[in-house]
Amino acid sequence: MSSIQLKSVVKRYGPVEVVHGIDLEIEKGEFVVLLGPSGCGKTTTLRMIAGLEDVSDGEMSIGGQVVNAVAPKDRGVAMVFQNYALYPHMTVRQNMEFALRPLKLEKGEVERRITETAVLLGLDELLARRPSQLSGGQRQRVAMGRALVRTPDVFLFDEPLSNLDAKLRTQVRLEIGKLHKRLGTTIVYVTHDQIEAMTLADKIVIMRDGYIEQTGSPQEVYTRPRNRFVATFIGSPAMNIVPATVKDGELAGDHISVPIPDRFRSKLTEGQAVDFGIRPPEIEQVKSENGAIAKARVEVTEYLGNEALLDLRIGSQELIAEVPANQCPGEDDEINIRFNPEALHIFDAQTGMSVEV
Amino acid sequence: MHQLTTSNKILVYLLLAIVLIVFMTPIYIIVSSSIKPTPIMFQKPPAMLFEPTWDHYINLFTARPFGKFILNSLIVALGSTAFSLFFGSLAAYAISRIRHKRMNDVAFWILSMRMFPPIAVVVPYYIIFKASGLLDTPLALIIIYSTANIPLTVWLMKGFFDEVPRALEEAASIDGYNLLQIFWYVTLPLAAPGLAVSAVFCFIFSWNEFIFALMLTGSNAQTATVAVMSFWSSDAVQWGRIMAGSFIILIPGVIFVLTCQRWLVRGLTMGSVK
Repeated sequence: MSSIQLKSVVKRYGPVEVVHGIDLEIEKGEFVVLLGPSGCGKTTTLRMIAGLEDVSDGEMSIGGQVVNAVAPKDRGVAMVFQNYALYPHMTVRQNMEFALRPLKLEKGEVERRITETAVLLGLDELLARRPSQLSGGQRQRVAMGRALVRTPDVFLFDEPLSNLDAKLRTQVRLEIGKLHKRLGTTIVYVTHDQIEAMTLADKIVIMRDGYIEQTGSPQEVYTRPRNRFVATFIGSPAMNIVPATVKDGELAGDHISVPIPDRFRSKLTEGQAVDFGIRPPEIEQVKSENGAIAKARVEVTEYLGNEALLDLRIGSQELIAEVPANQCPGEDDEINIRFNPEALHIFDAQTGMSVEV
Repeated sequence: MHQLTTSNKILVYLLLAIVLIVFMTPIYIIVSSSIKPTPIMFQKPPAMLFEPTWDHYINLFTARPFGKFILNSLIVALGSTAFSLFFGSLAAYAISRIRHKRMNDVAFWILSMRMFPPIAVVVPYYIIFKASGLLDTPLALIIIYSTANIPLTVWLMKGFFDEVPRALEEAASIDGYNLLQIFWYVTLPLAAPGLAVSAVFCFIFSWNEFIFALMLTGSNAQTATVAVMSFWSSDAVQWGRIMAGSFIILIPGVIFVLTCQRWLVRGLTMGSVK
């Protein structure tokens, strides 16, 4: 188990800078997920931790030791690759043995570790097979097994579930979560899937364009997004963003205005252009116009089983609401809606930063 | 694959038969002439039925030390093949993996070594090897053949190395292996079909080569191809021995190719990534 520190870490490819001086503290035993859209630098950051990419500038330490110039093999890390990277000319057993060989263990210990890992991951029946004879899910488990046998200080996962089908993904996600609870190893996990991030992480690091946008627990990034990007990136369906102006104690948008909740009052100035955000489940249908903040037309309804998603239109503004399926109105109906003011998020229109920060 | 109709099948087999005849006729002539008694060798029409004789084979080995020449050929061909595979695959690996904008130029420069006509360099080689005391030694031929075989190996192997996913090497580097170990345990085994193809080409080229062997060897390092030609003199052409020698020369090449064939399998990297 090791902690990891990144201090102003920069990655450049020639003249192009792709990671711009990021700072990150990962504590011993923590499960940290790097989350972001493609091209945000999350995989590059992971590869720098692994030692597969040089750090162009700044300082990277693992377990208190600066590792900028340390070879991957001497960093005490194990990695599960997105495409698994199993050695195709070796059986499952040989794949694991190969990972253990540099550790120069006794033969009995090698056997013990392979058996233990195989049982843990349900690979015991597959030890004699080659990767080409395995299904995607099995390959994924072998890739994890190969990393696991080495009992590394740090586990690195590079989008390990992206090649699995939806059902298997949920299953393996659970397994990874259990594994972390059991082993307590430090894990750095890269994904663009926010559900993986929310369910697995102790700490989520949201990245965009080579910058860290926010670091925090899943709950923090969901309930207190630092900026508009994080707010819309986390949560599905995405948070509704409504442009508005601060006017007479209200947020006045197009055909929609909401009273400013007390906690925001001191942070806003009259005439300030803002975007306010409301998550789809926080939009309520109300029967009477009394207490409603706007009248909306239902354009499309999407039935999801327990809930239904409503595509609403208020003037030029489109909103998505999530309502219990049994209260789902018909398409083209006019409904009255209101928000819970406490659930409101307000961002400065220009900087995109939350006014609460 | 769709089924062939009967008439198409006949056509395919007919074409195959023609191809087979074209390719096998010389071999038939070699084999049959090597066991034909000399008096009927040039009979017209050719004698199809005759009492076979082993005289040509016996004479081949008694008149000259043909066994030694075969051994020379083997030493030269295997030596050059081993040398070329070793250095060629290392060079190919470097060219395949080093990301540098001039790397293609390096690869082309290596290929350009094959572009000069061999006859143009026979005399310089002769002078160099005479001065260095390597004239009439197998080593001289191994060196020369490798200058032709290494570029070939580099180009073939580069293609195979390019196909080996880098993620595998990265996985091995994280697993605790250094560059040479990764090359040896991961990359090279996965490029085995390329090694087999290269080996076949290198071996056949070195085994068959004539001009350099003729010019640069005497009685000591003479190879079988040159030795066979020595039965062709100004006063007589000993066709029986030439044919017997030619047939023997065919055999090692066939054995070598068949041995390498088991490595000529596709899809070795299947299942590694994705």
